[in-house]
Amino acid sequence: MPVDRKHLGRRYGPYRFQVSVEQIKDFVAATGGGVPGHAFPSPPDRFHHPWTWDEEAAKASPHGGIVAPPTFATTFAIEPFARACSDPELAVNVLRLVHGEQEFEFHEPVRPGDVLETEGEITRLQERGNLDFVEVTTTTRNQHGRVVVKGVWTAIVRN
Amino acid sequence: MKRLQDFTAGDTFELVREVDPYRPVYYAGASGDFNPIHIDPEVGRAAGYHGVILQGMCTFSWLSDACVGYLDDPARLVRVRARFTKPVQVGDVIRIEGRCVAVEGSAVKLELSARNQRGEDVLKSAVAEGRVEER
Repeated sequence: MPVDRKHLGRRYGPYRFQVSVEQIKDFVAATGGGVPGHAFPSPPDRFHHPWTWDEEAAKASPHGGIVAPPTFATTFAIEPFARACSDPELAVNVLRLVHGEQEFEFHEPVRPGDVLETEGEITRLQERGNLDFVEVTTTTRNQHGRVVVKGVWTAIVRN
Repeated sequence: MKRLQDFTAGDTFELVREVDPYRPVYYAGASGDFNPIHIDPEVGRAAGYHGVILQGMCTFSWLSDACVGYLDDPARLVRVRARFTKPVQVGDVIRIEGRCVAVEGSAVKLELSARNQRGEDVLKSAVAEGRVEER
């Protein structure tokens, strides 16, 4: 069953997320060929940008400290999309769902200590053949009220 | 640090990442995506794969990281977009290849591909944009 078009415009959030330097370093290790955590960690390899994990290098950078890698946004901005996909009102069969498309628009770097709030809205519900597209657009603001990232998340459901 | 004049249409860059057996678990811990298809081989096999599959957003991060490496500053990436076309599995080696297609003012426009060791596209229509302000 395709998702009922009446849910277009349905909103999720805001969801709050407090950023720590440990979360950023864990994310960088996991995506950069290292090992996250504090028990048996290993740092990311040399292909990962040092300003996202090396405190000394970051301190000497124009940012004056660590900034999150852009796709760290996944950790906090995914929530409205995840909530929509598991929303009983939409009745999406998650076993038939894949993440089909992704877009991010970055406005301002995320830093340790930031307090972020993400809101999302269903912006497209479209049937194409036996596929159903569910698109959620998210906006994340920081503690200064400024937009840090916008995301467009598209799930494809096989009917 | 690279300056605007250091970016030219036709520049190329790449990033190669291997999916070791623990990568989906590390990514789950760091991102919060504990969907069982990424951590339980039985669930992966039931879905028709050899075992677990890597979170698509981990591959997407590699795409972004390739751009950040080329742009020489994590804060210079302003946009990235791609379609997911094929699952990435443990043992795969993913090669991200990027190309600068235009420099318009401070905007550096990039096109990318992401292929596995068999040459299959795991991402398609991958584009990104950097903004390089003269300081």
